[in-house]
Amino acid sequence: MKRIVNFPIVLLLLIAVSITSCKKEYGNLNSPTVEDYLKNASKDQLNSLVVGSLAGMRNNDGLYLDAVGIIGREMYRFSNADPRYVTELLGSAPLNNTGFYITNPWASRYRVVKNCNVLIDAATNSSLISDAERNGYLGFAKTIKAFELLLNLNLTYTNGIRVDVADPNNLGPILSFDESITAIASLLDEAKNNLNGSSIVYPLTSGFAGLDDVTGFIKFNRALAARVDVYRQKWDLALTDLGASFFDLSGDFATGAYEVFGTGSGDQLNSAYFPQNQNGEVRLSHPTFVTDMEEGDDRISKATLRSTPASNAGLSGDRDIWVYTSSTAPIPIVRNEELMLIYAEANIQIANFDEAVKAINVVRNGHGIGNYTGAMEKEALVNEMLDQRRFSLFFEGHRWIDMRRYQKLGELPIDRPGDQVWSAMPIPITEGQ
Amino acid sequence: MRKLMLSLAGVFLLFLLPDLLYAQGKTVTGKVTDISGLPMAGVSVSVLKSTQGTVTDADGKFKIQVADNASIVFSFTGFKSQTFKVSDASGDLSIKMEEDIGKLEEVVVMGLATTVKRKNLSNAVGTISAKQLNGVAPAQTFDAALNGKIPGAYINANSGAPGGGLSVKLRGVTSIFGNTQPLYVVDGVFMDNTATSGGLNAVTQAAAGGNASTQDNPSSRIADLRAEDIQNIEILKGASAAAIYGSRAAAGVIIITTKRGSQGKTKISFSQDFGFAKARHLLGVRQFTAETAGSLSSDPETSAALSQQFTEAKAAGKLYDYEKEIYGNTGFMRNSVLSVTGGGEKTSFYFSAAQKDEEGIVKGTGYRNTSLRLNLDHKITDNIKIGLSTNYVNSSSDRGLTGNDNTGTSYSISLSSTPNFVDLHPDQYGNYPINPFSASNVLQTIALMTNNESVNRFTTGINLDAILQKSNKSTTRLIGRGGIDFYSLYTTALFPRELQFQNVNKGTSIQGATQNLNTNSILSLVNVYNASDNLAFTTSAGVTQETGDYNNLLNVATQVAPGQSNIDQGGALTGQQFRNKFQNEGIFVQEEVSINDALNVNAGVRFDRSTNNGDATKFYTYPKAGASLNLTKLGVLDKSIFNNIKLRAAYGQSANFPAYGSKFTTLVSSNTDGLQGSIVNVQGGDPNIKPERQAEFETGIDFSMANSKVNFEITYYRKKIFDFLLLATVPPSSGFSQKFVNAGDLQNSGLEVGINAQPISTKAIKWTTSLNFWFNRSKVTKLTIPPVILGSFGTSLGTFRIEEGKSATQIVGNDAPTHPSGEIVVLGNQEPTFQMNTFNEITFKNRLSLRFLIHWKNGGDNVNLTNLLNDFGQTSADFDADDNGNNIPNGPERIGSFLGGSARGFVQDAGYVRFREIGLYYSFSKIPGNVVRGLRVGVALNNYITFTKYAGYDPEVSNFGTGFSTGVDVDPYPASKRASLNITIDF
Repeated sequence: MKRIVNFPIVLLLLIAVSITSCKKEYGNLNSPTVEDYLKNASKDQLNSLVVGSLAGMRNNDGLYLDAVGIIGREMYRFSNADPRYVTELLGSAPLNNTGFYITNPWASRYRVVKNCNVLIDAATNSSLISDAERNGYLGFAKTIKAFELLLNLNLTYTNGIRVDVADPNNLGPILSFDESITAIASLLDEAKNNLNGSSIVYPLTSGFAGLDDVTGFIKFNRALAARVDVYRQKWDLALTDLGASFFDLSGDFATGAYEVFGTGSGDQLNSAYFPQNQNGEVRLSHPTFVTDMEEGDDRISKATLRSTPASNAGLSGDRDIWVYTSSTAPIPIVRNEELMLIYAEANIQIANFDEAVKAINVVRNGHGIGNYTGAMEKEALVNEMLDQRRFSLFFEGHRWIDMRRYQKLGELPIDRPGDQVWSAMPIPITEGQ
Repeated sequence: MRKLMLSLAGVFLLFLLPDLLYAQGKTVTGKVTDISGLPMAGVSVSVLKSTQGTVTDADGKFKIQVADNASIVFSFTGFKSQTFKVSDASGDLSIKMEEDIGKLEEVVVMGLATTVKRKNLSNAVGTISAKQLNGVAPAQTFDAALNGKIPGAYINANSGAPGGGLSVKLRGVTSIFGNTQPLYVVDGVFMDNTATSGGLNAVTQAAAGGNASTQDNPSSRIADLRAEDIQNIEILKGASAAAIYGSRAAAGVIIITTKRGSQGKTKISFSQDFGFAKARHLLGVRQFTAETAGSLSSDPETSAALSQQFTEAKAAGKLYDYEKEIYGNTGFMRNSVLSVTGGGEKTSFYFSAAQKDEEGIVKGTGYRNTSLRLNLDHKITDNIKIGLSTNYVNSSSDRGLTGNDNTGTSYSISLSSTPNFVDLHPDQYGNYPINPFSASNVLQTIALMTNNESVNRFTTGINLDAILQKSNKSTTRLIGRGGIDFYSLYTTALFPRELQFQNVNKGTSIQGATQNLNTNSILSLVNVYNASDNLAFTTSAGVTQETGDYNNLLNVATQVAPGQSNIDQGGALTGQQFRNKFQNEGIFVQEEVSINDALNVNAGVRFDRSTNNGDATKFYTYPKAGASLNLTKLGVLDKSIFNNIKLRAAYGQSANFPAYGSKFTTLVSSNTDGLQGSIVNVQGGDPNIKPERQAEFETGIDFSMANSKVNFEITYYRKKIFDFLLLATVPPSSGFSQKFVNAGDLQNSGLEVGINAQPISTKAIKWTTSLNFWFNRSKVTKLTIPPVILGSFGTSLGTFRIEEGKSATQIVGNDAPTHPSGEIVVLGNQEPTFQMNTFNEITFKNRLSLRFLIHWKNGGDNVNLTNLLNDFGQTSADFDADDNGNNIPNGPERIGSFLGGSARGFVQDAGYVRFREIGLYYSFSKIPGNVVRGLRVGVALNNYITFTKYAGYDPEVSNFGTGFSTGVDVDPYPASKRASLNITIDF
């Protein structure tokens, strides 16, 4: 056997060795990954999750306001593209568990919940932040998560929601309404405990002006807690939480926390805004909104008269909704006017009528209709409180939920024979229930 | 030092050795002819076990000096080799070469570095010769040249737009979300075949509708390759043949060998084509009347105005057929190829320079390709050979704007709602009128817009073959192969502000820049050990590495200054970037055993890992094995009826990577109030995502009859894909809407029958024919998630549905008349019932040659939405006719059927019989002077004759481009037919 050349064998071996040793993982080249953030996130990375959560809260919020507004008979929504606004949501056809009105908002809220869970894990795993800073992130994440869960529970009500969704491959059960609302309340309490003595090193949007430090954010957290308290009929607790919030009977109605919109890169516009007198895609206030209103109420400005009435599917109206008056107008998360009416509500329920009327009168006088003159008894005051909530919080997503918690859905107007008022939306089919 | 000198002297001696040996031999002369006695030029005449050789001249004559005891081998592609002992020679030799009709002598790849003769092959490996590929009626692009030529393949042109864009599926659907297209290997270089979108969606908004695909219809990058440079193509259709290519081979491998030089006189050849392209078939347009024009509006006032407009237009002779105006262009085409080949004892070369320029059937569209190739082979020593293949391609396609959109801007969508009585022509100052029936004036769009893909591509391959050790019984070679494939693709889509639909954006400029670099290398050792005359072992082992680096930038500028296209001339700019990078590594071992030349057994295994997998460090194992048994050689069968009976079987495994990035949960940008934010993507990742695994078994029988004049090749295969990937819907409370999962198993099985024959072989007429028949059936055998609808626009229009127990390519939809409660019913299947092709060459007196390729696709449904859009636009040619005589005109009836909830009408049989290529060539024999050696003239027709019942522009169509979903028809660029005249001169 004659050996002719032998150096290539050596070469081959060398190359084989070098190939097998230069192995690497490229990671994702196009965007950051959750896996990266969970390892040991920097402050900037955590802050990015905070902002992403705030930005994500706005996804499908226009649709959410439409859905609860239509079922709560605050409004009509006409669309050439989709007839379901005037059929299924008004009860002329059954609600569908594949309907966009539930699947889209539901998924958007849980996406933010997921982002908050990632933030919780990332902050917990990070060695680059102090404990106080960590608690600042945890307090933020849990507060926002609780709020997002509450919005979904508002939709599905007695059908419940999943609260434990930390592991996408092993989701927790769907809880009953009571279990869900209790879980939301304790999540807010946990958040408050985290926030106490914490340090906030992340930026919040201008929608949190005045609430963007530790003290302020705790006030925001307690404002949400107060709302949850009245949903749970924990009246005393509501008053306690109001006391720890930014509630101020002599303050501005508008004080509070908002989702903000903009035209910047990667930002979004307010999808609850339509120009006035638009055709095709239209939001009308329900005719009773104005007819039920007392003379001189300045809240009539929320429903402006159209140049021509709009009609669709046997429904018609001549007033556009004019709550969000530009494509970058903010949408309230929670604001002082609601807190005033929560204060009234809790006081009515503990039979502290004078204090309740005091708050109601602040709202009434603020809108130019003078003091309350009705009976000083519970039922009349509850109705008065619900009316003020209806006009003050118009198209902010409250009417349907308020009437539901007082078992008054039957009092909502039915416009067409065969229509009905739903009490709850179905769980999306994709939840596999 | 002394040792070195000694070995240098040894090497020197080695060089001298042949000359010393053969100097004392004798001179052999002779003539080589074919069976009918016609002289054969270019036949290789080589001396066995030496490097000596020559080729025959134009008269078939040769002269060679050899040793007395030597043997001479005569070989020529497509003919059986003959061996002749010099000791038997006396006087002029007369060699008659016999045609190898069954291609039994053809050398076919066996592994990454070994080859085997077809007669010993255990797989059905398809081959396409240069003549079949490009010698009948040349196609515009390389991918189009493959169409109809691969038994076992389903090849479909996505649209008629210039510059190619075809889907090639070998043996059925191998993946749903992963890669469905084969790997192309050119001279050992792995070629990238990505289709990169030019970002037209920014204007068409096609993705905003019922399907999230951009439907931009880009071309596939393999289109750039020059068919003229190709010597031979081998097709490994599945894992049983291709397992040694590992994770890249799941959809098959297409191995392309380009032409190379050989020792002898330098040959120069120049070929020139001229021709034209025309639309294959137009649908026609509705002929309006005053009454039907009025019916376009339900508003009485508008209706009267429309009737009036029609009457006036008619009186003025201004009724137009816009379909003809748009698609009626006769595109001029030209193609010039210059090639030079030759070589000396040590170095040989093939060089070609080529340019083609073809206009499309729409003004302003076309394809241009300029290519340079240099292939060099050099023998460093008798034992070390090195080969170099280099190719530069510059191509440019202007593809127009056709297909689906949601903005009424594409030519075809705009056309669908434009009646014949509106005048879209420009005035004397060049101003186009507003088209009141559509968002765009299609004539204006054609005149002013640009949609160009322009490519510069360099491909270089190196091949090193060194004999490390040689003895009587054993030879060991080192084979190194590698290459780089680099291209830069620039896409330009310009929509000037004058365009009717640019009234909001005021001019849009979309500029995309893509760079892609692929590298690959294989190093292997091959040992051939001849234990005895009847027993041979071929052992090979080696390592491979492949890398890819893709980077795509896309910028969309709007409010672009008049007459400008640079993105900084715009008032608003958005950008996006997508990158993709991978590195794969493999180790392989293969053993082939040949016993008595009758039993051939081979087995191999490849270990593969990739950065695309969930676990980048994990090696996946892909084994393969095969055997063939030649019963005739074994002597168990009589030779009188069957000349050659071979049984064969092969098994192999392969895989397909998970979609890029599917293992990650990404965070996408979500900003508010000037702050940068990140939020989890709606698509969840799975760190445990596995590749789709494939196991293929094939078995077959090959036999020849009538003295090898008729050859049969019959193959059955069953290909199972395990853990195929699907984008599954997940509970949204997880925070995600969808996620890639390994969702189940699917299976393809099918039959391929090939017959090669030479029915007539006389001096006057020779007829060679091949006939292939094949079909594939797919089935989803397991699905761990609920059925998934994908690949089209939903059940109301007909769509694909992945469902356990059903064909993977079934088309389903609503059919309210039979299923009023909205159940989904099966309406058809995209897979053809069967396909056939036949390639024929009839030669008269060795001068006049008629060649043709007929392709029959039987069955296979399309989802045809073109007619629906024309119905909605009320412009279909048969809108007012009443085919079924029920007094409801076709148009309203079809719309009513759709609104009534039936998708049945859209699912249509897209079978066809197509004369893909017809060519008639004449070779002149006696040419005066001695400069020109040969002259050939010919006429060629490409896709010229088609028989189909399909009601769209062409049964070959795919709105969603290359991928799982083919056959969805949404107003495509109509297919064209081509005719050309060819002159080839050899110097």
